[in-house]
Amino acid sequence: MTTETRGRWERPMWMKAWAAVIVALFAVGAYLGLVWSPPDVNQGNLIRIMYAHVSIAWIGFVAVGFTALFAALFLWRSKRMDDVRAVASAEMALLFSSLTIIGGMTYSRPTLNTFWTWDAKLTLTALMVALLVGYFIVRSLIDDPVRRGRVSAVVAIVVAASLPFNYLAAEWFRTLHPSRSISLDGSGVTMAPEMLMTLLFNTFVAGLVYAWFMVDRVRLGRLEAQLEAERQAHEAVPSTEGGVVRV
Amino acid sequence: MNDLYAVWLVARKDLLQESRSKAVTVATLFFSAVTLVVIAFAIGQDTRLLREAAMGALWVALAFASVISAAQSYQADLEDGAFDALLTTPVPRPAVYLGKLLANWAFMVVLGLVMLPVTIVLYGAEAGPHWPWLIPTIALGTLGFALIAVLYAGLTANLRARESLLPVLMFPVVVPILLAAVRASGALVGIGDLELATGWLLLLAGFDLVYVVLCTAIYHFVVEE
Repeated sequence: MTTETRGRWERPMWMKAWAAVIVALFAVGAYLGLVWSPPDVNQGNLIRIMYAHVSIAWIGFVAVGFTALFAALFLWRSKRMDDVRAVASAEMALLFSSLTIIGGMTYSRPTLNTFWTWDAKLTLTALMVALLVGYFIVRSLIDDPVRRGRVSAVVAIVVAASLPFNYLAAEWFRTLHPSRSISLDGSGVTMAPEMLMTLLFNTFVAGLVYAWFMVDRVRLGRLEAQLEAERQAHEAVPSTEGGVVRV
Repeated sequence: MNDLYAVWLVARKDLLQESRSKAVTVATLFFSAVTLVVIAFAIGQDTRLLREAAMGALWVALAFASVISAAQSYQADLEDGAFDALLTTPVPRPAVYLGKLLANWAFMVVLGLVMLPVTIVLYGAEAGPHWPWLIPTIALGTLGFALIAVLYAGLTANLRARESLLPVLMFPVVVPILLAAVRASGALVGIGDLELATGWLLLLAGFDLVYVVLCTAIYHFVVEE
């Protein structure tokens, strides 16, 4: 391996710095959530789970939105990098929604005395995990990169479009009546300013974590695409040594 | 050639093919009936419980039947490269999708209307005064199933493990359809609550509308060679 190729593999300096900033901000967020913010009137210290849980859940939905956005871009202009970005975001969406389910179960065991409730948002997240797993299964079954990108982009768009309906259905399912008004902000629960501030700060940090992994995964995806193209070039023309094909 | 006429031709081709082979008819009819019986056995002999579960069982049976119907409609086309030949004709891709959708939907509505009285008898449910509303419920619910099933069946048609893949992909997307259809028909049988059912029917209609537009628009990415 030459120095030139090794340089390509390495994570750039600014990303390492960014990671250090995230770790520091994460510590601040943990301090705000665990020490600085007041305990809840009803739930006491259990409310502190909420800061991690809700911020991760929000970013998980943002990640699904970005997946569908990049998928649509891929269908529109057929650039391989859009597919790489869509996958990167989908992987983060799967991670964040899985964490949301774990967080939700941790949260509902002491507060509601059960691991699983058919709560609208929890049900929606569980469906989202199932939808994202389907997305990755489809990807794993197609070898041709162009067809894989196109087919999985279709799946991603259908998934994103189904989320509002899944939300409505899950919400109405729980209340048993469809005429209830819908509020996406936690059913108008009033929150102390310190609590809201802590939640927003933790969401901001979770967003930074998402963005960091997104950038890093796209970097890896670009390398994967290059490697695949180089390998194909070698197989097609075995005589040309070290022929590098850029994508 | 008019595009709407092309839609009709594709639908007619699928329905004609089915009327001659009867492969899907036999499979889905008996499959749905067996599903209904199996669920009834699983629930047990409690008549009240059976009556309450009736509409849920009906829609589970219809959901599985829609998977079989959509998968089969591509299976027959893929043999001898008939589907490729269809794509080389000057028929726009959306017309192919809408044609297949129309054929599948028509088939599913008939199946639903056959299975509805079977369910009512088998589970001891009462039709009640609002029973005519069950017909639009079946129409809207099966349209929702067919929309997703036909799109995803085209997507999985030449993949490995397509038999298990199609329901895995489709069911999480149609959860709102299943839920709304079960709730709406549950509110319509027995004494009935028309107001409650209308809310769910509107959700069904909204879902169908959004997905007709979306699936028709992105279908050509699925079948493009």
